[in-house]
Amino acid sequence: MPLQALRTVARSQNGVGAFILQCKRLDFHYCDWAGSSKGMNSFLQSHLPAFAASNPQIEITVSPRPRKHPVIKGTYINGREKAVCVRNMEVKEILAKAELLRDANGEKLRKAKKPVKSANESVRGIWDPFHGANWSI
Amino acid sequence: MKRLRLDRWGAQFLPPQYQVPRPRVLCPYQQASHDHRIQHSTRFYRSTPAIRDTPDYEDSIDLATPLEQLPSPPPKLASSSAKLAALHARLSLPSKLPLHTLARCLVDASADPSPDFNNSSLAILGSEILGYHTSEYLLCHYPRLPMTVLFAAQYAYVGPKALRSMTLEWGVEVAAEPGGEVDPGLLQLKRLRPEEAVIQAGETGRPNQQWAYRRGTSSRIVYDDQFGDLKKDATTASGNAMVVGSSTAQGPGATDEEASKNFVRALVGAVYLHAGRAAAKRFFEQHFLSRQLELSKLFDFKHAPRDLSRLCAREGFESPVARLISETGRLSRHPVFVVGVYSGNDKLGEGAGASLDEARIRAAAAALKGWYLYSPIDAMVPSDVEGGDKEKKKWEPAMIDIGEIIT
Repeated sequence: MPLQALRTVARSQNGVGAFILQCKRLDFHYCDWAGSSKGMNSFLQSHLPAFAASNPQIEITVSPRPRKHPVIKGTYINGREKAVCVRNMEVKEILAKAELLRDANGEKLRKAKKPVKSANESVRGIWDPFHGANWSI
Repeated sequence: MKRLRLDRWGAQFLPPQYQVPRPRVLCPYQQASHDHRIQHSTRFYRSTPAIRDTPDYEDSIDLATPLEQLPSPPPKLASSSAKLAALHARLSLPSKLPLHTLARCLVDASADPSPDFNNSSLAILGSEILGYHTSEYLLCHYPRLPMTVLFAAQYAYVGPKALRSMTLEWGVEVAAEPGGEVDPGLLQLKRLRPEEAVIQAGETGRPNQQWAYRRGTSSRIVYDDQFGDLKKDATTASGNAMVVGSSTAQGPGATDEEASKNFVRALVGAVYLHAGRAAAKRFFEQHFLSRQLELSKLFDFKHAPRDLSRLCAREGFESPVARLISETGRLSRHPVFVVGVYSGNDKLGEGAGASLDEARIRAAAAALKGWYLYSPIDAMVPSDVEGGDKEKKKWEPAMIDIGEIIT
């Protein structure tokens, strides 16, 4: 065997070719009775159909959660969940929260310290003392 | 160059009993949602066995069978599944591809043995399309790739593991247990139980299989699958959908990886059948070719300097000489040597290592990679000029290399 090959799997680069929205499900929980769900209930009636129609990639479920605060819960492709409590919020605020959950990628929030993150090796390479201008003492 | 008639592949892979005239009941997978397109896409019907006009098909749909007794969700449930519609939109699938076909792609042969309802026939077609597009891309863009690396590259793009991870990245969930009452947007498979997971020696299609001869690279090209692996069941590879369905029915279940592999392949086949060749190619480019693979990391040289000197002898270059470019700390605990291999005055490669030998071997490997990974500028693939469009580019023949170094 003069030359063998190592097996690996090509890594996905979401958005380079196809873009897969990372939020795959949004659950809207409401309560018919409690006052903290007032905004949520009017959101479900007035804004949710348009929101669902403009985001067909997301599976949307609506279910009651009696005697609890209203919650929007997002399920993501990486297996994580994000839940936002929207008690006492206005319709506009709830829409903003739903869009926030839609646009999230499901990962834990962390600070991006470097401006660029790349899977490719640096074109320039790491510095080494043997190339480039020689240092004369 | 003879053109590949891709549009006939679907029909070619089916056994004769499926190549029946169009039945009086149209394909139920299209009839429900796309009546206005039926005239447009009738030519695809020849190639899908879903339209086999059997009485048991109509019985199973029309009679009020409890859903729990069906092996997989009936097609009529597909249009009411939120998961399925979301998956369709998430993958930006062409609108010509109905939800019913997408639902069928999600039914593995281990869940529903009937080839009228599972994805085995679509998976065979999709496997061929994926293999064709991957290999034409690799062969035209990297004409000097050694055969083993070509196998590994195909495995990295469309191998079972890649398709499994792709299924996960698409957000496809696996049903706990298949059945008629399960949401059609879940991947349906009957899981392989641990006590059943014994390796069954199937027909590999190799002569003298019982002797377990060494498998050289040349014989892998002829006998084995597109990744250079032994075929699990040679009858599968010949494209007999009926055999696939029935053999899996008696066998144990499937693993997640096998079911995901069949799902992705079936989806590619379905895109091809419903939306056409161009859409299938676009789907391939967007979802498969856009993934990142560093080909230079697939090489595993055993004797790089020897290979390089054979290469230079074959190509008529001067035989390679390794020369020390620079060094530091020769007598220290961690010396570094930079060695280049030269053919005459031309530097073929350069490598750094902790010993002279290591640096020399790295330099030879770098030189060999430089040769093998040559890629022509503006390489075309044959499918770029497929189709009858007049505005298409003119075919420029691809570079064919004489091959890798045999030592």
